[in-house]
Amino acid sequence: MLSIKNLHARIGEKEILRGINLEIKAGEVHAIMGPNGSGKSTLASVLAGREDYEVTEGSVEFQGKDLLDLAPEERAAEGVFLAFQYPVEIPGVSTTNFMKSAVNEIRKYRGEEPLDAVQFLKMFKEKMAYVNIDQSLLSRSLNEGFSGGEKKRNEIFQMAVLDPKLAILDETDSGLDIDALRIVAEGVNKLKSPTNATIVVTHYQRLLDYIVPDFVHVLYKGRIVKSGTKELALELEEKGYDWIISALVD
Amino acid sequence: MATDTLVSISLGKEKQAAMDRFLAKGFPTNKWEEWKYASLKSLNDIDWNWNSSETPTNASSTSIEGSLQLQSLNGKFTTVGSLPNGVEILEFSAFAAQNPDFITKWEKRNQILDQNSLYDLNDALTTTHQVIWVKAGTTLPQPIVHQLLADVSIASAIQSKLLIYIEKGANVTWVDDLRSNSSSETILSNYVQEIWVEESANLTFVKTQDFALKTTHVDHTFIFQQANSQVDMFTFSINGGFVRNNLHFYVDGENVLSNLNGLYVPGNNEFIDSHTVVDHRKPNSESNELYKGVLLGNSTGVFNGKIFVRPDAQKTNAFQSCKNVLASDKATMNTKPQLEIWADDVKCSHGTTTGQLSDEALFYMRSRGISEEAAKTLLMLAFVQQVIDKVEIPELKESISDRVVAKIQQALGV
Ligand SMILES: Nc1ncnc2c1ncn2[C@@H]1O[C@H](COP(=O)(O)OP(=O)(O)OP(=O)(O)O)[C@@H](O)[C@H]1O
Ligand SMILES: [Mg+2]
Repeated sequence: MLSIKNLHARIGEKEILRGINLEIKAGEVHAIMGPNGSGKSTLASVLAGREDYEVTEGSVEFQGKDLLDLAPEERAAEGVFLAFQYPVEIPGVSTTNFMKSAVNEIRKYRGEEPLDAVQFLKMFKEKMAYVNIDQSLLSRSLNEGFSGGEKKRNEIFQMAVLDPKLAILDETDSGLDIDALRIVAEGVNKLKSPTNATIVVTHYQRLLDYIVPDFVHVLYKGRIVKSGTKELALELEEKGYDWIISALVD
Repeated sequence: MATDTLVSISLGKEKQAAMDRFLAKGFPTNKWEEWKYASLKSLNDIDWNWNSSETPTNASSTSIEGSLQLQSLNGKFTTVGSLPNGVEILEFSAFAAQNPDFITKWEKRNQILDQNSLYDLNDALTTTHQVIWVKAGTTLPQPIVHQLLADVSIASAIQSKLLIYIEKGANVTWVDDLRSNSSSETILSNYVQEIWVEESANLTFVKTQDFALKTTHVDHTFIFQQANSQVDMFTFSINGGFVRNNLHFYVDGENVLSNLNGLYVPGNNEFIDSHTVVDHRKPNSESNELYKGVLLGNSTGVFNGKIFVRPDAQKTNAFQSCKNVLASDKATMNTKPQLEIWADDVKCSHGTTTGQLSDEALFYMRSRGISEEAAKTLLMLAFVQQVIDKVEIPELKESISDRVVAKIQQALGV
């Protein structure tokens, strides 16, 4: 589904991704871990199409298409979704209106008829249940004055509405209380299917108890320096990153 | 020069004095500090008709329902239909004869008229003007709707002037619907309003300006507030080749609340200038000024907000904010907050911002599948909607919203 080859990206003069290779198949869950500043969010942003980053080398193929060739909105329409580490506040636009615009624009891109108000109502109601989110939150200005946990929950609600092929969750667990973590993880699991894939960026093994990964990768200084199965996450929890980093020959 | 023809108009003594004041100064030029971005020198090249007798086409009354419908058509004031209880309309001289106490106060009103030569021109050429007198304790169930419409077939300078007198404890909503027809010849629309809000009276005033490209509109709205009164002022500048608003609040009593809301969306070749003054002359009052602008195409905007806190005006709270979005790299916005504070126990703040839409927000929206153009439109509409939503008359809110939305969408090509 997703094939990243030797991906290099920089911002200004600073090279942040320095040769990423990653293969993801439909139905898989990949966890990406790594120390602060190693480039996890950068990788997520580059996949979503953030224009501040310049891709200097490498390729990304998504469902047979050159992902790097597409505008962010085209990537979304093709099925890429990024749950932001820091969701952005959009004053004056409610989540529901925002999602209506997004859904209908994506439908237009796919040559489908727009949904009407009644269809939206039904769909939103169903998706709200996934993450146990309240209607009153969805009527407010998007993310404005939301608590940290509410923002993250809202991201997963949006994911549920857009039903992506590839979901990238960037530290969706940070800022969530224990119950919310479980609810959000269950929501993500419900959305999982043999035809979609998930990338989970996290610092904590705890999330991976709920969203069980098929593969765990360690990102360090813009490269994947180690990959393994879910046991690797347990090992990292116990021993930190030093043992991996010190074994590296630069 | 165009003003040469003014010399031959015969006027009474007082009116002639006003005319002489105007002629001594002429039309504002950008050499005057207050008109730095807004020269009207080009008006000198036009052979003005100073007293139009034409009747506008399309002078239908507005769709907004009111307790009272008023019209100023090419400067001629008329009342449409009957007057509701508690409202009287009469000429200034008749009003003055009945209200000597008011006139004493009125003569000491002391407006700030620096570099405002067009006020003098209006004064000189409006030989008489009407007073809309809302009697003490009157609460009108619906707004007073005043439609000002200009439409001429030869270049005309049109003077309009009203005095609105809202007595003690009265509650009034005023809709000021200003337009010129798009097919009209060149217009100078010069409009003076003096609004007196007496003790414990409340006024909501919604002014919409929707003028043709060939119209120059200069607005002088001077509001005098007495103790315990509240005014919620809205100025929506939607269209106009050249629009200059002089909005003055004179806080002449204690416990006064003055809310100034403004929204301007100039488009290609349009110029919209908001000069506001809030003059706190008495203690314990509050003013909140919130202006927003979206500048489209190659438009130019100006915001100049003056706040005076006089030595007597202790415990004044005065807040001002002006936020602008440049929707195109050809648009320009000039902002200048000016605070002059002579009292020590006051709370004042001001802030102006002018910028592009946030890249962060645009990327976030695009990452959800919303195209860049649609995302920009959505953000701008949200930005302006926050001012429009404060209007509490549904059909008026809708009419403003429709016009603003259409203008922004058209400019952005969506
Ligand atoms: N706009 C930017 N300008 C300059 N440097 C940047 C910018 N964005 C990211 N960087 C730098 O790139 C590096 C990688 O950042 P990134 O956010 O991808 O790290 P991360 O792995 O997600 O970290 P964390 O675990 O703290 O979220 C950091 O050193 C960061 O300072
Ligand atoms: Mg990060």
